[in-house]
Amino acid sequence: MNSNQSWVVVADEPAVTGLVTTARELAPQVVAVVVGSREAADAAARAADRVVWLGEPGQVPVEAYAAAVADVVAAAAPAAVVGATSPAARALLGAVAARLGAPVLSNVQQVEAAADGAVVTHAVLGGLVEHRTGVAGVPVLAVDAGAVPADGPAVTVEEAPATPFAGVTVTQVRPRERTGGDLGSARTVVAIGRGLRAEADLAIVTALTEALGGELACSRPLAEGVDWVSKDRYIGISGQRVSPDLYLAIGISGQLQHMVGVRGAGTVVAINSDKDAPVFAQCDYGIVGDLYDVVPALTAALGGGA
Amino acid sequence: MKIVVAYKWAPNPQDLEVRPDGTVDAGRAKPAVSEYDPVAFELARRLADATGGEVVGLTVGPAAIDTPLARKAALSRGLDRLVVVADDALVGADSTRLAVVLAAAVRGIGDVDVVLTGDSSIDVAEGQVPLTLAGHLGWLGLARVAAVEAADGGLVVERDLPAGVSVLHVAGPVVLAATADAVVPRVAGMKDILAAAKKPVEALALAALDVPAPGTALTTLATARPSQGERRRVVLEGPTAVADLVAALDLAGAR
Ligand SMILES: Cc1cc2nc3c(=O)[nH]c(=O)nc-3n(C[C@H](O)[C@H](O)[C@H](O)COP(=O)(O)OP(=O)(O)OC[C@H]3O[C@@H](n4cnc5c(N)ncnc54)[C@H](O)[C@@H]3O)c2cc1C
Ligand SMILES: Nc1ncnc2c1ncn2[C@@H]1O[C@H](COP(=O)(O)O)[C@@H](O)[C@H]1O
Repeated sequence: MNSNQSWVVVADEPAVTGLVTTARELAPQVVAVVVGSREAADAAARAADRVVWLGEPGQVPVEAYAAAVADVVAAAAPAAVVGATSPAARALLGAVAARLGAPVLSNVQQVEAAADGAVVTHAVLGGLVEHRTGVAGVPVLAVDAGAVPADGPAVTVEEAPATPFAGVTVTQVRPRERTGGDLGSARTVVAIGRGLRAEADLAIVTALTEALGGELACSRPLAEGVDWVSKDRYIGISGQRVSPDLYLAIGISGQLQHMVGVRGAGTVVAINSDKDAPVFAQCDYGIVGDLYDVVPALTAALGGGA
Repeated sequence: MKIVVAYKWAPNPQDLEVRPDGTVDAGRAKPAVSEYDPVAFELARRLADATGGEVVGLTVGPAAIDTPLARKAALSRGLDRLVVVADDALVGADSTRLAVVLAAAVRGIGDVDVVLTGDSSIDVAEGQVPLTLAGHLGWLGLARVAAVEAADGGLVVERDLPAGVSVLHVAGPVVLAATADAVVPRVAGMKDILAAAKKPVEALALAALDVPAPGTALTTLATARPSQGERRRVVLEGPTAVADLVAALDLAGAR
C-alpha cells in the first residue's frame, strides 16, 4: 500500500474541495482521477497534487468508466479513496470498492488516519445512530463534494484516455430548467410537505418565502411523486442537506429521513395541523394549526403578500 | 430476457429503538419489502411481459429474512420465482459484502440480462448496494432510472438526473436502480397472494457461493445517539400563535 497517497474519484463535477480536504486528512499527497469534462479536470487541478484525466467521455455516461477507474486506482494501491455522494460518483466508488473488497462508508463526519487504515466517524441507518468505525485496510468514503476550487495555481492535468464499457450510448439529453436560487447557501429555507393539497396552493408558500427572503424547498413526496417542486429542492437523506439560519417545515410530518437534512439548521419552525406530528419534538418553535390559515397570516405579519 | 429484481427485507428505522449508548434494538420493528423496491418489481414485470421474459426475485441477508411471510410478500409482487441467501453470517453486513453475495447469486442464476433494484433501502438508505453489485459483476451500473424498455437488441433506459433527463441505449448486461417514482407499483390482490404460495423458491447456501473474503475489515469502536443540537420545542397554539412566533423569531434574531 502506498501510504503517502490518497485518491479522489471525480465524476464530472468541478466541486471537489470537500473530497480533497477529506483525502488530505488520510495521506499527505492527493491524486484525483477525473471522469468527464476538461472543466472538471481543470477544477481538480486547482485542489489536488496530481490529476489523471481519463479523457472526454463523448456520448457515454460517466458510469461507463467505472471499471477503468477501478483499474487506475487499484494499480496505485492508495491509502484511501474518496468520492462524492452523487449516483455517478457512487458508481465509480462502487467499482473501486468491489475491486478492493472494501465497503463504501457514507455520511462521514470525521476521519483520522490510523496505522492500518483509518478511524471514521459516520452516521448509519439513515442518521439514526453514529458509529466510530476502525477500518483495517483501505477506507473508501462517500462525502459531500464541497465547492468548486477558487481560481489560482493548478497542477498539470495528465491525460490518460481510458476505454469505457462498450455498448452504451447516450442518445438524447433533455436539460432541466433550474428554478430558484442556491439552497446550500440560503440563510432562510421554507419547506413544504404533503400537507399541501394542490399544486396551485404553492402560491401561499412562495408568498411566505418571498416575505422572508428565503428559498423554497420541500419534502420528498412533493418532488418525487407529485412533481410540484423540482427534484433538486427536496431536503433529506436522499436529497439536499441544508444548514440555514432559519428553516420552516410546513405540512411536513418530521420523518427521520427528512429531518436528517436539517440537523445543521439554526432555528427550526414547524407548522402542522396534527399536534402529535413528530416534527414538534424536533423544532424550536411550532404552530399547531392549518397551514392554509397560518401561512397567509404569517406572511401578512411579516409585511408581505396580499 | 431474464430479469433479476434485488430487493431488501428490512425494518423501518422509525421503528428501531435507539438505546442511550447508541446501540439499536430491533425488537419492535417488523421488516417488510423495503419502501421503494416495489417500483423495481413493477418495472421488471412490465419489461418481462413486453419481451416474454422471466422475473427472478433475489434477496440476501440474515437468516430472519427467509420466513413464509417474507417469501409471500415478494412472490405476490409479480415474480416468477425467488432466490434467497439467508445466513446469520450476514448480520450487519456492509454494502460491499451484500453486493458480493448478490453478485455470486446473480452468476448462479445465470444468463441474467438485467438486475433491477430500488433507489435506496429504507434502513441503510445509501443507494450504494446496486452500484457496488455492478462493480462486482463487471457490468455497467446506472442509478436514477425512470423508465426501461427493450429495443434494438438491447434496452432503452431513461434516467432522471439533476441536470435533466438522459436517454441511453444499452446493449449488454446492466444493473439499473430505479427512481422512487419511476412507476406506481401495482397492489398485490388476493389472486397474487394465492398464486405466490405455488411459486418456486430456491434457498442458496452462503457457503456454496463463490464469495471472496473481504479485503478490508471494519470494527465498531463506539456507538452514539446523534446530538440533536437540543431544540427548544416551544409549541404555540390559538389566535396569538402567529404573532407569538414572529416575536420569538425577532427576539432570537432568527429572521
Ligand atoms: C430510503 C428512504 C429515503 C427517504 N429520503 C427522504 C428524503 O431525503 N427527504 C424526505 O423528505 N423524505 C424522504 N423519505 C420519505 C420519508 O420517509 C417521508 O415519507 C416523507 O418525508 C414524508 O413527507 P411529508 O412529511 O411531506 O408527508 P407526510 O408524512 O404525509 O406528512 C404530512 C404532514 O402534513 C400535515 N398536514 C396535513 N394537512 C395539513 C394542513 N392543512 N395544515 C398543516 N399541516 C397539515 C399532517 O399532519 C402531516 O404531519 C425517504 C424514505 C425512504 C424509505
Ligand atoms: N440485502 C439486500 N438484498 C437484495 N437487494 C438489496 C439488499 N440491500 C440493498 N438491496 C437493493 O439495493 C437497493 C439500494 O439499497 P441501499 O444501497 O442499501 O440503499 C435496495 O433498494 C435494494 O433494491
